[in-house]
Amino acid sequence: MSEISCEEVLHEIEHFVDGELDPARSAHLAEHLGVCGSCLDRADFQRRLKEIVRVKCSGPSPTPEHLLEKVRRAIREDPPAIV
Amino acid sequence: MNANTETAKGPAEQPEPGDRGELEARFEQEVMPQLPSLYAAALRLTRNPTDAEDLVQETFLRAYRGFHQFEPGTNLRAWLYRILMNTFINTYRKKQREPQTVSDDEVEDWYLYSRMVDGVEPSAEATVIESLPDQDVQDALAELPEQFRTAVMLADVDGFSYKEIADIMGVPIGTVMSRLHRGRKALEKALWNKVRERGLVRD
Repeated sequence: MSEISCEEVLHEIEHFVDGELDPARSAHLAEHLGVCGSCLDRADFQRRLKEIVRVKCSGPSPTPEHLLEKVRRAIREDPPAIV
Repeated sequence: MNANTETAKGPAEQPEPGDRGELEARFEQEVMPQLPSLYAAALRLTRNPTDAEDLVQETFLRAYRGFHQFEPGTNLRAWLYRILMNTFINTYRKKQREPQTVSDDEVEDWYLYSRMVDGVEPSAEATVIESLPDQDVQDALAELPEQFRTAVMLADVDGFSYKEIADIMGVPIGTVMSRLHRGRKALEKALWNKVRERGLVRD
């Protein structure tokens, strides 16, 4: 397997963290991260930033109780669609 | 209604009552359970409970009207998000202050991973950012230019793949990746500003 540069790794680090690389490429990057502390630190940061956004921005936003019924009523009262 | 007058409209133009009933039942069973997650997304987009409710209602009406065109077995959640985004852009965004838009054509900064924060290791930076209150992170996300905010929200909060985000936003995958990258860089910067405002680090 050919050597991969830090520049190439950083270029794809988000795709790696997002799980968007094909398995072979992903394994290739993981191998580099195993021996390169600075790239690993960057990967770790991206993973944690993603997690921070997920946890802190998906907080409880309970659906108002009346909304389900309001939407059902709007649909019932909607004129039949012209197919 | 008089059955004898029914020649006015052909059956092809008007769904049979039975079809409508079946459509309604399927809609209730498959689409309505998605309402809470769509409401949460609408709230993140509009940042206002009243607008979020209106957006959800309009989204579900449009989804209902188009439901006969939805191909069963394909990605229902992405289909609904796409309607939500289109409805938001076409209707509610006009009511709000003119959104910041950013050109997708700007020179890419893929390689510019110069440290945003001098003298702080990424892992230490993440630890400080983690200590911010939820509201600060929500505000930082909300203040991003709209196409960045949407891309980050769809990827990191709603967990969609690049392909799904491309479908939802109606842009090529390369544009999704660019918006995500730039959105995350902008978010990192905004979060670090919040960290400094709160005096969580010394200058």
